[in-house]
Amino acid sequence: MVAPIYNEMCDASGQPRSHYQAFDAWLKACPEEMVHQKQTEADLISRRTGITFSLNGDEDGTERLIPSDLIPRIIDAHEWADLEKGLVQRVKALNMFLHDVYHQQNILRAGLIPSEQVLANAQFMPMMLSLDLPHQTYAHIAGVDIVRHSDGGFYVLEDNLRVPSGVSYMLSNRILMMRLFADLFRSYAVRPVEHYPALLLQTLRSACWVEQPTVVLHTPGRFNSAYFEHAFLAKQMGIELVEGSDLFVRDGYVFMQTTEGPQQVDVIYRRVDDIYMDPLSFLPDSFIGVPGLASVYRQGHVVIANAMGTGVADDKSIYPYVPEMIRFYLDEEPILKNVQTWQCRKPDELSFVLANLPDLVVKEVHGAGGYGMLVGPTASKAEITEFALRLKANPNNYIAQPTLSLSACPIFVDQGIAPRHIDLRPFVLMGKETRIVPGGLTRVALREGSLVVNSSQGGGTKDTWVLESTEVR
Amino acid sequence: MLSRVAAQLYWLSRYLERAENMARILEVGQSFALVSTSDITRADPETIKEPLVITDTLEAFKATGRPMRSDQVAQFLAWDPSHPSSIFNCIQSCRENARSVRGALTVEMWECINDTWLELLVKKKKAKGSNHPVDSSFFEWIKQRSHLFRGVTFATIQRDQPYNFIRLGTYLERADNTARILSVKTRVAQAEGKDMVDDYYRLGAVLRSVSALEAYRDTYRDAIDADRVSELLIFNARVPRSLLFCLEETSYILDHLPQQTGREARKRCANLLTHLRFGTLNEVYAQGLETYLEEFVNENIHLGDAVQGDYLEVLA
Repeated sequence: MVAPIYNEMCDASGQPRSHYQAFDAWLKACPEEMVHQKQTEADLISRRTGITFSLNGDEDGTERLIPSDLIPRIIDAHEWADLEKGLVQRVKALNMFLHDVYHQQNILRAGLIPSEQVLANAQFMPMMLSLDLPHQTYAHIAGVDIVRHSDGGFYVLEDNLRVPSGVSYMLSNRILMMRLFADLFRSYAVRPVEHYPALLLQTLRSACWVEQPTVVLHTPGRFNSAYFEHAFLAKQMGIELVEGSDLFVRDGYVFMQTTEGPQQVDVIYRRVDDIYMDPLSFLPDSFIGVPGLASVYRQGHVVIANAMGTGVADDKSIYPYVPEMIRFYLDEEPILKNVQTWQCRKPDELSFVLANLPDLVVKEVHGAGGYGMLVGPTASKAEITEFALRLKANPNNYIAQPTLSLSACPIFVDQGIAPRHIDLRPFVLMGKETRIVPGGLTRVALREGSLVVNSSQGGGTKDTWVLESTEVR
Repeated sequence: MLSRVAAQLYWLSRYLERAENMARILEVGQSFALVSTSDITRADPETIKEPLVITDTLEAFKATGRPMRSDQVAQFLAWDPSHPSSIFNCIQSCRENARSVRGALTVEMWECINDTWLELLVKKKKAKGSNHPVDSSFFEWIKQRSHLFRGVTFATIQRDQPYNFIRLGTYLERADNTARILSVKTRVAQAEGKDMVDDYYRLGAVLRSVSALEAYRDTYRDAIDADRVSELLIFNARVPRSLLFCLEETSYILDHLPQQTGREARKRCANLLTHLRFGTLNEVYAQGLETYLEEFVNENIHLGDAVQGDYLEVLA
């Protein structure tokens, strides 16, 4: 009954797929020592440039490198074209949904989504009601997690519309690969991704009505796990990397503290969660926020990207309704498929889930980063029993999905080359125009058989190549 | 630029300069201890204490309960985690500051600091027990890393505010250091009226510790004496570690920072600079060299405070 895993590089007969043939030939011609040497070189470059990821709660502030595997994940041009269309469609509908739920709420009136699922959702922010945003854009940056199932089709696993991260690894993987394997890039027409920061800056600048806006990147600070990325992006865009204490509110506007005195800020690209943004409106003991920011935002005197309250659209309890949203707002059929999802808040679906826990993946509706989830097939009996108790105590908090057999891609391991499961997170930029750099971040589960690709859980990354055409140069 | 970022750049270079100065003091102290003339013995307790007196850490050292031996003094000043200005802690603070403002540094600058930190950790790990390296090759290495960072900075960063705040930190820290070394070392030379050979080694060590031995020879072409050493290190405008040189640089930097802020810092700097530009050694002696230098150190601290208040923590 277990379907064979889809291998990105080879077909069922073990032959390399057409878009992998040139790579396969190159790899076979490579002496083994060279691969080892390149891997060492890659580790050195990563370590020296400080591509690190420090985990939350690490007491000695130690840093761990996110391992970067040197076998590229290659996507051919046709597949990418479909993915791209599907992503644009999906993120557009999600933005329209956000505008709708914070204005007329037509989708709720139409009865397509139960009102309590939206209005009583912890991620729903009443302060956003009837607030008009430029271009009606809520999720300026979306990181949509996509997996390929054993049927060869792409499925959306989740829509990250709050503060999606990982794009710096996409960029640094490419820099690394070009430094190490210049010859490979000559034989493949790989579409570039290096202009992502330029597109992002353009998106942020056009996200407000001010002519020459001052844009800043708001980070929780250097102890945040994605701090490297914040610094990297700010530098690439040439904007200030600010912490909450650098900003203050005066006379209805936001300013930053500079060596020349206060300077007004028009757009805040924030990498801070909603509830930490303003201690006066949300968590009073947040040190990383800006007191009074919410009121400036309500007056339309500053743009926050992503907008406040976007979490109501990427919540796992809302996820099952995204295909409906696409039909409702765009009058189109969804291009990208959803993974079948059981909502534990529904009694009949809950009993199905409870009866089939060993085969399912159960997730918290507000969870992220691979924390607080149960992977049925790999869990012990005791873990399943314990999880069932938690599930029964608070069914509203969980959804369940079939255990997907994520596709696999070869990676370098100590013994040579072996397949490991991967996913894909493309980054969609939305504003006056919608832009996607071809590819995204490919995350890889480094442990054999593991399906968890999150970097917080020991995952690694790969460079993702979208080809110009299926023809190899 | 952001006040917080400016502050971190300023402090990262202060810490690095502090580490370098510490290495200079310890290195010279060691080579000095190897010279055994009739008057100077290796175990001279005053000589052993000197690095502690210069850095104002005698009490802190005693509190650790370490025996007063030159190797223990060096361990304390170079590696002790409980001593905030130990070389190890300075490099760590420098790197922590750099890490939080990486966006304001060039890649080469960051790699230089990060490599220094990583190598320092390796050296620490390799050491057996608490015997960390305190030999001249270690101090030489610290100096080289500091030189390298200055060179990389000079060669790669845009001439803009970040560059100026980095240099500002260097010169404020350096002026403080030169004044302290001079004060302690000449005190001994003068007070005890040692003979010429003794002066030669003692004052030669002072000059070497601030890389000014060649400058002394070129300037005076004569035996080393205490007056000239003082004159060189206070009033000479061409010696990169003299007080005048440091203040001229500081003044130049302040003139190239935003003028709508920084009034207090510019005022204090101009005051100090006037005394150095137009002062004479006779005036210094009239006041007493030690008192003069003590006053300078205090004024320099006030200048640092003014920089901090004017640019680095501007209140809304």
